Amino acid sequence: MASDNGAVLKAIADMLENGLKTQVEPFPETDKEFAEVLLQLRQLDPKDLKSKLVISGFLDQPYGPDRQRCLECMYYLVHRKWCDLPELSVPVEPDWWCRLWRI
Amino acid sequence: MANLLWLQGGACSGNTMSFLNAEEPSACDLVTDFGINVLWHPSLGLELGDNLRKLLNALTSGQMPLDIFVFEGSVVNAPNGTGEWNRFAGRPMKDWVSDLARVAGYTVAIGDCATWGGIPATAPNPSESQGLQFLKRQHGGYLGANYKSKAGLPVINVPGCPAHPDWITQIVVAVATGRGGDLSLDEFQRPKTFFTSFTQTGCTRNMHFAYKVSATEYGQRKGCLFYDLGCRGPMTHSPCNRILWNRQSSKTRAGMPCMGCTEPEFPFFELAPGTVFKTQTLMGVPKDLPKGVDKSGYIKLTAAAKAASPAWAEEDIFVV
Repeated sequence: MASDNGAVLKAIADMLENGLKTQVEPFPETDKEFAEVLLQLRQLDPKDLKSKLVISGFLDQPYGPDRQRCLECMYYLVHRKWCDLPELSVPVEPDWWCRLWRI
Repeated sequence: MANLLWLQGGACSGNTMSFLNAEEPSACDLVTDFGINVLWHPSLGLELGDNLRKLLNALTSGQMPLDIFVFEGSVVNAPNGTGEWNRFAGRPMKDWVSDLARVAGYTVAIGDCATWGGIPATAPNPSESQGLQFLKRQHGGYLGANYKSKAGLPVINVPGCPAHPDWITQIVVAVATGRGGDLSLDEFQRPKTFFTSFTQTGCTRNMHFAYKVSATEYGQRKGCLFYDLGCRGPMTHSPCNRILWNRQSSKTRAGMPCMGCTEPEFPFFELAPGTVFKTQTLMGVPKDLPKGVDKSGYIKLTAAAKAASPAWAEEDIFVV
């Protein structure tokens, strides 16, 4: 399982490093907008990793003037290096970010 | 022997059901151990029709003393301030409330509807509902801001949807046994003994709150319900995790978020779609932070807590 996660983590890291354009903006300011992004994610094939990253606006670096990052996000599990948001459920690095970030 | 009368206005009977489930003391204990004479109650009273009206008239005229007047449900003023939508014993209930509150030794509002209007008073408030001495956060309500019962106290507010059984019976016993003067009330006239601490006080998920691990689904055996599922435990004054429900649990212990039902704004955000059981955020930060915590402090605390969180905080800990 851990090696599976490692492979997925590497696949995500490679896609981001190779310049995958993701939908960083608009940041879902309200819960309604947040829910709309979640709805898009729920309609995906759970194995469609690339679309997940695009829709959720993944970046492999902190974002914005506050330097927001996964490490402070509510959904980030520090020890598993895992995003626990059910619609994402992917391994992530602490210095990454996505527009579903919340604290 | 203290005479107690319990009436219902715009109510669902939830607080009556709660009262009848009381254990410490029970509804029967009120009569057998504490000398409370329950003159009439919607689920227990025997009198009907003329006999009930006779009883009510004896109380309002002063022929029979009314020591404790308990009111459940909102005061209904519709239509157009007449109160005709809620008639009782031949006249609008609100008129009985006025007359009985005037002669009562103590007036006790049970549940959100009687305290601040509750769900019936949610916009657009078609029943023109009010609480006895508040309308939501606004002081005044049906009886007016200056109302005091004969004992010199304002309406004693025991909110909740419903109020916990023991909050009800313990307050009734306190006033019936002459200890009403010892009651200390907060700014919303709630007994401080119950409503000074928070719902979060005693919550079994406090470790997850501290380490910022979120529950993402109801009933999950790990995680705090505040971050994502709209739990109002850190902002709500109630002893729900100190005086347990059914003597063994609470909403948060069972994995369901606190809805803040002891606060005047309940139901929050006027039940707009997407606001129930969902933490409201602005740019990813909760709009309502734990009482007394500001945004910058919250962000700093989160960063430190996440960095320090132990591995077990991410595992199920309430294992069957």
